[in-house]
Amino acid sequence: MDVIVCVKKVPDTAEADVSVGAGGREINKERLTFAINEWDNYAVEEAIRLKEEDEGTVTVVTVGGKDKEDILRRSLAMGADKAIRLDMEDPEDSFVLANVLYTLIKDQKFDLVLFGAQSGDFNSGVTGVMVARMLGISHAAMVNGIEVLDGRTKTSRELEGGLNEIYEIKLPALFTIQTGINEPRYVSISGIRKARKKELKVMTPADVGVTEVKPMLSLEKMYLPPPGKIAEIIGGSPEEAAAKLASLLKEKGAF
Amino acid sequence: MMEVEEGNFDEAYDVYACMQCGKCTGSCAVSLRSDLNIRELMRIAILNENGELEKHEEIWDCTSCGICTVRCPRDLKPAEVIVGMRSSLVEGGTIPITVRDALESVGTNNNPWGRPKSKRAEWLEDLDVKVKNISEGEDAEYLLYIGCTASYDPRIQSVSRAAINVLTKLGVDFGILGEEEPCCGSEPRMMGETGLFEMLVEDNLNLFDEFSISKIITLSPHAYNTFVNDYPECAKRLKEDDAEIPDIELEVKHYTQILEELIDDGRLDGEMMNEFSETVIYHDPCYLGKRNNIFEPPRKILNIIPGARCIEFDRREDRSLCCEGGGGRMWAEGTGTGERNSIIRVNDANRDEATVIAVACPFCLSTLEDARATAGYEETMRVMDIFEILDEVLK
Ligand SMILES: Cc1cc2nc3c(=O)[nH]c(=O)nc-3n(C[C@H](O)[C@H](O)[C@H](O)COP(=O)(O)OP(=O)(O)OC[C@H]3O[C@@H](n4cnc5c(N)ncnc54)[C@H](O)[C@@H]3O)c2cc1C
Ligand code: SF4
Ligand code: SF4
Repeated sequence: MDVIVCVKKVPDTAEADVSVGAGGREINKERLTFAINEWDNYAVEEAIRLKEEDEGTVTVVTVGGKDKEDILRRSLAMGADKAIRLDMEDPEDSFVLANVLYTLIKDQKFDLVLFGAQSGDFNSGVTGVMVARMLGISHAAMVNGIEVLDGRTKTSRELEGGLNEIYEIKLPALFTIQTGINEPRYVSISGIRKARKKELKVMTPADVGVTEVKPMLSLEKMYLPPPGKIAEIIGGSPEEAAAKLASLLKEKGAF
Repeated sequence: MMEVEEGNFDEAYDVYACMQCGKCTGSCAVSLRSDLNIRELMRIAILNENGELEKHEEIWDCTSCGICTVRCPRDLKPAEVIVGMRSSLVEGGTIPITVRDALESVGTNNNPWGRPKSKRAEWLEDLDVKVKNISEGEDAEYLLYIGCTASYDPRIQSVSRAAINVLTKLGVDFGILGEEEPCCGSEPRMMGETGLFEMLVEDNLNLFDEFSISKIITLSPHAYNTFVNDYPECAKRLKEDDAEIPDIELEVKHYTQILEELIDDGRLDGEMMNEFSETVIYHDPCYLGKRNNIFEPPRKILNIIPGARCIEFDRREDRSLCCEGGGGRMWAEGTGTGERNSIIRVNDANRDEATVIAVACPFCLSTLEDARATAGYEETMRVMDIFEILDEVLK
């Protein structure tokens, strides 16, 4: 099985203080650290497991500048065979990005294309599904289990409320991968060094034949949600805060 | 330390010299309560059965206390064989998830705690004294190397603040690196991430060179040990591989050694302190004691504190009971069952009627604090770093 995985480098914003830049259209990135999108890491691991079970190749793809290559090297060290970086600015709009990825992927050999279910920066969760539509192949989103059958897969996807849905899907297909589908392996620094020998191909938009499409969305303004007026932060020592909270709950009729 | 490909344990660690006497297992800090049997692992190394290492989950139970290495009659390094075994597991990618996350965090955040680099200096916020920041161009004789745990762990941050107060009061000319301070690499090395450790050694030596740092005081015995014992050898190896390593000689001291010097120079004595009416029992950290034979300085400091009644554990100095905080154990639960060493330790201290357990290592502080709460000694006993005691008593 030949698998293509699309990966993105995103900032870690879980605990970092995120602030909006002067232009109001971007967050300040200087003090943030960047790594492979968490969902994409699971997708790469899944692709490698599928390859290890069966024959085939894994190709990882990213759209962006040279500073994005470290996530490709890491994926190669994990066990991917080939990497492609499409050297252009990462488009802000998912539709434009989907069009770019479609143009690149359509000329590659593949049985399966994997995306992350969403990216940790904008959490939109649409790119993969749009690419599937453009390629004219079946897709499943939020996939948390893949079993390969003959020319088909048994694919489980996660629904709201803790439900699972299982489909038999004909290959080629495109899945967007949910975290938790596997346990990604550790990639050691010396593993990354050794993977330098593996192929990392840099392509230009002209090589691929990217055509210009009009964005569907444009980012007008970014701002942090203003603090709600009703919220009250209770200060003081844990004992004082607990006493205050208890009396507030009583006052508001919680007991 | 070297990376171990399948089949070359002998070359790296001379394992054929092992006579299977079992002295290592007999002295092991955790073999009583876990499946870890270091003699068995030595035999696996001898027989080259290291393809099966995944099955031996207990490899992650080792606290790297080093006592097996100290006591081996053949002068072998069983504790390093474990590092080598972990290293081959790390290269294979199949390691406990918590260890994986800690190592990935060192790669991205420069600390194993999964916390952002931009919050490394948050512990400074509640401090009244002004501290020099060497990374902002201020000059100082010493770098005070805080370390990851004392930077991020809320309980241990108090030691960092106490260190600043005490060293400032005693007129030591020191500075810190603040947010720019890197992981020293000790824990990643013990978790078997050789490549990451080498990268840290290269980066850190260049960083020290950039800011003309040559004298370092560490809070942690683990940082002390790696700067003193691992960096020179690793730097030499990297240089042979043409890495760009600056020619700097580091003069590294654990903070108890600096305080001892101040006592010897007459710059620190009991007259500068208020009474400390406590029964104090000192717990030797493995990385200061067993691994580096530093037993005297902490005792000398405690002994000059007026009012303090200093007593000793039965198991002390090179026989000190390991707290199980080292060797990556902060990030690996371990397979062990039964009473944790830290619980045995606080029970022993309680039996000896100690009111303060004095420590000189962030991991010891963390494990013994937990044990103190679990064992129910919150009202009767405190666990304090020596810096915290001094901060409390210095006038
Ligand atoms: C459950 C769910 C909740 C939603 N909630 C909201 C909401 O609250 N508010 C709202 O406005 N919209 C929401 N949406 C809809 C959605 O926001 C959008 O339609 C959107 O604009 C997509 O863009 P994206 O760029 O963030 O990429 P995503 O679609 O998030 O991208 C995901 C994947 O694309 C690939 N990829 C991305 N960039 C690259 C690259 N440079 N190179 C290679 N591969 C790449 C990676 O595989 C990545 O994991 C939701 C959607 C879902 C499914
Ligand atoms: S103490 Fe040394 S010689 Fe004895 S079994 Fe252990 S490693 Fe082998
Ligand atoms: S280093 Fe300590 S814990 Fe590890 S095997 Fe040796 S004695 Fe046991």
